Parts: sequence; C-alpha cells; structure tokens
Amino acid sequence: MNTSTENTQDKLSALQSELEAVKRREAEYRAKMVQEFLDRGERNTYVHTLHEERAALRKRQQESFGDLENLIRKLEAEVERSTALEAELSRIGRSLSWKITAPLRSIAAMLRPSSQPPTMARIMDRMPVEGGVFTYYLHTSPFRIYRDDTFTLRGWAWPQDGRSITAIRINLSGRTFIGRQGLEEPEVIARYGAQPANPKPGFEVTFETPPGRHNLSLEAQIDGGEWLWIVKTSIWCEPKGK
Amino acid sequence: MSAPDANTRWEESTSSLGDRSAYKKVWERQSRDPDVAALAVAGHTDEAKLDLTARGFIDIVNSTVGLGANDVVLEIGCGIARVGKVMSRECLHWFGADISSGMLGYAAERLKERPNTTLVELATVGLQEFPRDSFDLVYCTIVFMHLLEWDRYKYVEEAFRVLRPGGQCYFDNFPLDSKHGWNVFIEGTRYPLERRPAHISMASTREELSIYLRNAGFVDVKVHDLANELIAATGRKPEA
Repeated sequence: MNTSTENTQDKLSALQSELEAVKRREAEYRAKMVQEFLDRGERNTYVHTLHEERAALRKRQQESFGDLENLIRKLEAEVERSTALEAELSRIGRSLSWKITAPLRSIAAMLRPSSQPPTMARIMDRMPVEGGVFTYYLHTSPFRIYRDDTFTLRGWAWPQDGRSITAIRINLSGRTFIGRQGLEEPEVIARYGAQPANPKPGFEVTFETPPGRHNLSLEAQIDGGEWLWIVKTSIWCEPKGK
Repeated sequence: MSAPDANTRWEESTSSLGDRSAYKKVWERQSRDPDVAALAVAGHTDEAKLDLTARGFIDIVNSTVGLGANDVVLEIGCGIARVGKVMSRECLHWFGADISSGMLGYAAERLKERPNTTLVELATVGLQEFPRDSFDLVYCTIVFMHLLEWDRYKYVEEAFRVLRPGGQCYFDNFPLDSKHGWNVFIEGTRYPLERRPAHISMASTREELSIYLRNAGFVDVKVHDLANELIAATGRKPEA
C-alpha cells in the first residue's frame, strides 16, 4: 500500500516537473517570438521615421503655399496701387496748371545743387558686390515671410575655387550686418571631405527685419579682400504680430 | 452653408492640445540629464532607493496579480528601468517599452548585467511594436498620471492584445481621495496657466480604471487600494 502511494507521489512529482519544463519552454518560445518580431520591427521603425519626415515636409510645403498666396495678394495690391498712381500722374501731366508752371520748375531745377552727398547705404545699393561660386547650404531658409524683429541665418559655405572665407555678412538693402563664421560643421566635413581653406565652414548672421520689402544678400569676404555674394533674394517683412 | 462645410471649418478652427499629447517630445526633454531623468520617473536619484522602491512595487505585483519565474513580462513606460532591473531577476524575460529613447539609454546602462531584458522604443502611443498573445504580465506603473484619458485607454486595449490568453494586467495611478493625491492636485493648481507643464500629474478614479479594463475585454477586474496611496486596476485576459 505504502509503496503504491509512494509510486503515485513520485509519478505526480515527475509529471509536475515535466509540466513546469513544458511551461518554461512555452514561455521561452514566446519570449523568442517577441524578440524576432521586434527584430523585424526595426525596419518598420525606420519606415515610421520616414513617414514622420514626409509629414513634416508636407506641413512645410503647406506653410510655403500660404506664404506664397500672401505674397501674391500683396503683389496684386501693389500693381493696383501703381496703376492708380500712374493714372494720377498722367492726369497731372495733362492738366493746365502743370503746363502753366513748367517755366518755374525749370528755373528751380537750375538753381538746385547738382547732387547731395551719397550715404553709405546708397553706395552699397549702387555698388552691389559680384556673385561668387560657392558650395553652401542654409540651415535656416531666407525664403520666408519675416514676422519678428530679427532673423538669424545659419548655414555653411566655401568658395569652390579653394580660397578661404574671412568674414560673412548680410547686406539688407544697403545696411550690413556682420555675422560669425568659422563655426564647426563636423557632419559637413565628414560628408564632403576636409576643406583646408575653410576647416570650419559654419556661419550665422543675425539681421534686423524692419517691415517692408528688402533686397537681402548673403555675402562672404574672400581672403580678407573682396566681398562676393553667396545668395541673393528679395524678402518681405511683416509688421510684428501681424 | 452646407453641413460638411461647417464641419470642415469647425475642424480647422480647433486648437491642438499642445504638448500634453506630445509624449515623445516631453519625455525626450526630461531625459537629457541622467539625474533629471531619474527625478522625472522616480522622484529621486539615489540608486539604492531606486532598487528599494522597485522591490516595493514587485511586492505589490506579487500580492495583486502574482509574478512567476517563467513569466514573460512587459512594462509600459519603463523609463530608466527602475523596476526592470530588479524584476528581471524574478521572471523569465523582462521587456521594457518607453516612448523616450533618452530614458531607454539610461535604462540600457542600468540593465547591462541583465541578459534576460529587452528595451523597445515606442514610436507613438500604443504597443504596435509587439505581437499579440505574447506576455504573461503587462503592467504600467507611475505613468497614467502623465497621459490623457484616451491614451490611458489605448494602452489598456493594447495590453489586452499583447497578453496571452490567461495573462494578467496591472495599471495604477493616484486617486484624488487620498492625502497624497489631493496634495499632488493642489500642487498642480499653483502653476500659472501658461506655465503648467505638459506632463503635469492628473488623477484617476477607481471607476475610470475599472471601466477601461472591462471595455477592453478583461475579466476578473479588481481595483486595489494600495498602501502607497495609489489605486491599481488588475484584470485577466480570458482563455481563448
């Protein structure tokens, strides 16, 4: 009797151990299955990143379309204003009073000093610098509607002829804003290779953005001498808060 | 004016919930500094204390849903693996999921001696990275207070999907009707409106947690009043 009970106990105990072992193998299988699923998922994660980047680009595109629409509206308004002013000018030119006062205006023109001394801004406007051939990239795009008091243009650049950039500036319709250059851009150097004349090709320039339309020119001084423009564009600055 | 037009215009006029929903952004920022990361997820930076509080949590798990040596476990919002470092000694394999890669970086450092652990960065709210019917236990502790209600429920639903039939879940949060919960709430009222942090702690009720679990399909749903003044809802995924 005792032997029979002991045998049953032994069998139960053996079965229990076997059940535990099966449970463990099953759990190990599930853990392995999750691992394999995750390994496959790594690729999915990259796809997810690309999807997010695409969504961000679409958002930027939509914002740009919005800005473009605003600029077109402004342009249309300016064209209308210009047409009205031209009509007004033409009406004045044809008027009797304009014809009667013509001799007086001729006398006044003869008596007026020949020219006023030019301001530095006018000189800058009249003597734009030449364009250069640069390899460059702008981290902050200048092609936008400006809504704050200032803007900082960041990027990197070097002249393709191997000379070095010794200073950087923004010329905004004749007003110049000197920036900082010689900033580290390790990823750019890793990608394009060493640039002996411009080992630190990064730059940033902060400039004021008063309301209205301006000509913006990003310019680099080459080997401490001449200035050459890297990129030029016309920009529109909104009054703050608009 | 047609109805669809009004609906479209209404959708365009709505403002977003802001950074409260931007969990990845919020928690990546909190993980830039290891001490800040530990403070953000545990309230302190001392390693011995981290282990001690982890031990306390494992005791709660043992007394509510149980933890077995053969269990495959998933923690939702594991942060720096405060719990995982200790729990992985007592289960077959511990998986830690978090939305912040920065937090997982610290977790990896803390788990380098634990081969039976795996860390997974979640792309967004949910457990889409994991297969169904896989885990014996899915738990989420000291996380719900930082989530919006819809996202809390999303994790409950997802826990149901990834648990094996018969597997168990555990979710906790603080309730308003405890001294600690009320203090947390009152602390929140002191923030100026515009400086209220995105991850500010928000309470749950027993009914809320219970409703989430039942609607997700769990059975044997219980809400426990814990000694640490949290409430925890537990449930079991029915056998197939």
